[in-house]
Amino acid sequence: MLYNVLIVERNRLYLEKMAAVIQSLDGYELAARFQEPLEALGQGKVFKPNLILLDIDMDDAISLVKDFTEAFPNASVVCTGEKWQGDSASHFVKAGARGYLIKPFTASEFRSAIESFAKSGMESASQVLTFFSPKGKSGKTTLVASLALALARSTGEQVGIIDADLQFCDMGLFFNLDPASTIVEAVRDINFLSPISLSTYFCEVEPNVRVLCGTRNPSLIDRVDIPSFEALIKMSRSLFRYVLIDVPAGFCPTSIAAAEMADTTYLMTMLSGTYELQHLSRAREMFQDWEDIDSRLKVMITRVSPCNEKARQQLSDDLGYTVEAIIPNEYKLVSEAANAGRIALDVKDDTPFAAAIGNLADSISLHRRWVAP
Amino acid sequence: MVEDKISGVVITFFSTASAVGKTLISINMAAELARQGYRVCLADFDLQFGDVANYLQMQGSATVYNAAQRLAEDSEYPLEELVSTCSYNNVSFGVLAAPEELSQAYNFTADMAEQIVKCLRMRYDYVIIDTTSMFSVLNLSLLDLSTIITFLGVVDFIPTIKNMKIGNETLQSLNYDSNKIRLVLNRSDSATQLSIREVEEKTLGSSFYHVLSNDFRAANESVQSGIPLVLRQTNNQLTKDLRQLVALYTNRAYQEEEFFEEPAQKSGGWFSKLFS
Repeated sequence: MLYNVLIVERNRLYLEKMAAVIQSLDGYELAARFQEPLEALGQGKVFKPNLILLDIDMDDAISLVKDFTEAFPNASVVCTGEKWQGDSASHFVKAGARGYLIKPFTASEFRSAIESFAKSGMESASQVLTFFSPKGKSGKTTLVASLALALARSTGEQVGIIDADLQFCDMGLFFNLDPASTIVEAVRDINFLSPISLSTYFCEVEPNVRVLCGTRNPSLIDRVDIPSFEALIKMSRSLFRYVLIDVPAGFCPTSIAAAEMADTTYLMTMLSGTYELQHLSRAREMFQDWEDIDSRLKVMITRVSPCNEKARQQLSDDLGYTVEAIIPNEYKLVSEAANAGRIALDVKDDTPFAAAIGNLADSISLHRRWVAP
Repeated sequence: MVEDKISGVVITFFSTASAVGKTLISINMAAELARQGYRVCLADFDLQFGDVANYLQMQGSATVYNAAQRLAEDSEYPLEELVSTCSYNNVSFGVLAAPEELSQAYNFTADMAEQIVKCLRMRYDYVIIDTTSMFSVLNLSLLDLSTIITFLGVVDFIPTIKNMKIGNETLQSLNYDSNKIRLVLNRSDSATQLSIREVEEKTLGSSFYHVLSNDFRAANESVQSGIPLVLRQTNNQLTKDLRQLVALYTNRAYQEEEFFEEPAQKSGGWFSKLFS
């Protein structure tokens, strides 16, 4: 696709720089450039742009975004600003913007940004899912990894995993990654990042699945800076259609922040025949303050055998609240893979585990209830 | 009197993976030491979702939160008057459970934990501590206070081994004396056939101090009945392994006969809960 680009930029210096970037790229043509937004609104139509770079470092930026998306219904509006405005980003999106770029940018940054916006749009309909368990050993990491792959394959959308289990994060190992940067660097740098530069902190697993790995060594603290962590989650919405967050077990500032930021939190435990269901119920009580708890908090139980609708209903009846999904035992699969010196990642489609995960992916992407395989 | 000022031994169970048996083993260590006649208190510092009281079926026991409150009012408070007692077959030991409320657990500080352990060690021969699997500020201060850290591991699957390696290295980096940290492997015969020697050589750089057999059934029965394995009349390999571990810690030769000379009592019905 050929992009016909219209630039609206008050700052003369930036305007020249951006024009030079556009002209240097194959597949992009400079349609026109304006310093005055109102001139661009009136005159720009004759150039038939399909991509508009709109300066939003001005007071009336949000209404400008609205004006431009209405005046140019066939063009994508991408906002450009001198720094990332996490709080207003969602307002720009609501007003119709497709993406957000930090100025100045290089040709390669620009190209990857536009490609990314073309794929995912910007947080328009992104879903953040947090996976919370009272104690460790819940099957959470295995589930998140498998679910990310299933979601990406069934929807073709961009999926990101944030491994926020800050002490013993296994996601990198799971995907056999050797990350150059981790959540620690991302959180440290977040105030200087834009969605596009943030994306380089993620490791690619598949063309549309990327992972922000956890720390390699446990720091002797049990949390990251929470406002920065929240900014990270917010910005990740611009990069991915689905953001899956693996958090440390139990209630800690990190796990609470991730749950608060999420559209849906999965409260998980693994059946092991001791007191895990009591712990589950106790943990669930802590979420009772959420007015929309029924839609926001979903209970999931792993290692359930047999894994069928009757078992799900029975567990719901015993607990006195809805168990959204149950996942069969995958221990054999995981340990067999470990014996062979690899990770049980590409689970064969015909296993009950894969079927349950596939149904979970469908329940998320199609906004419907989980059904037993 | 000098005796009153002698500090007891603090043994902490720590791991970098969940569900490796910390709680079960710390309960059995407390019970076995008590059986040998020592004064023992078991304190559950897995604050949010601790299972000591569950596994002993002593729900409603005095908690570490209650202890912290008492000590806040009176730093000299004799904690043994608050501690609940677990008794079975004439063997008893003290128990401080995890807090009742999650809010109490969430707001529990490292200082509170430290104060409790310092108080308990002056009043018991052995203080046994159960923890969570992470390097939190609270756990670090418990590790500092410990005479011995039992670092429990399982050779399960790759992430667990990686975390055991990281945990071991982190413990090393804290510059504790090498014989303060004891690597103990639980469930050595688990389904995964990763070589123990390979893990020792390539991952840990040292061998396991002790190895406990895998007996999921016996462990589960113990949890269901609320009776520590070492206090039951069965004598499976896991129970023997647990006794041997305790013998290693007390420097007492482990004698199998000793136990069987005691009056044999049928299990069940004898278990009582005593609250102060």
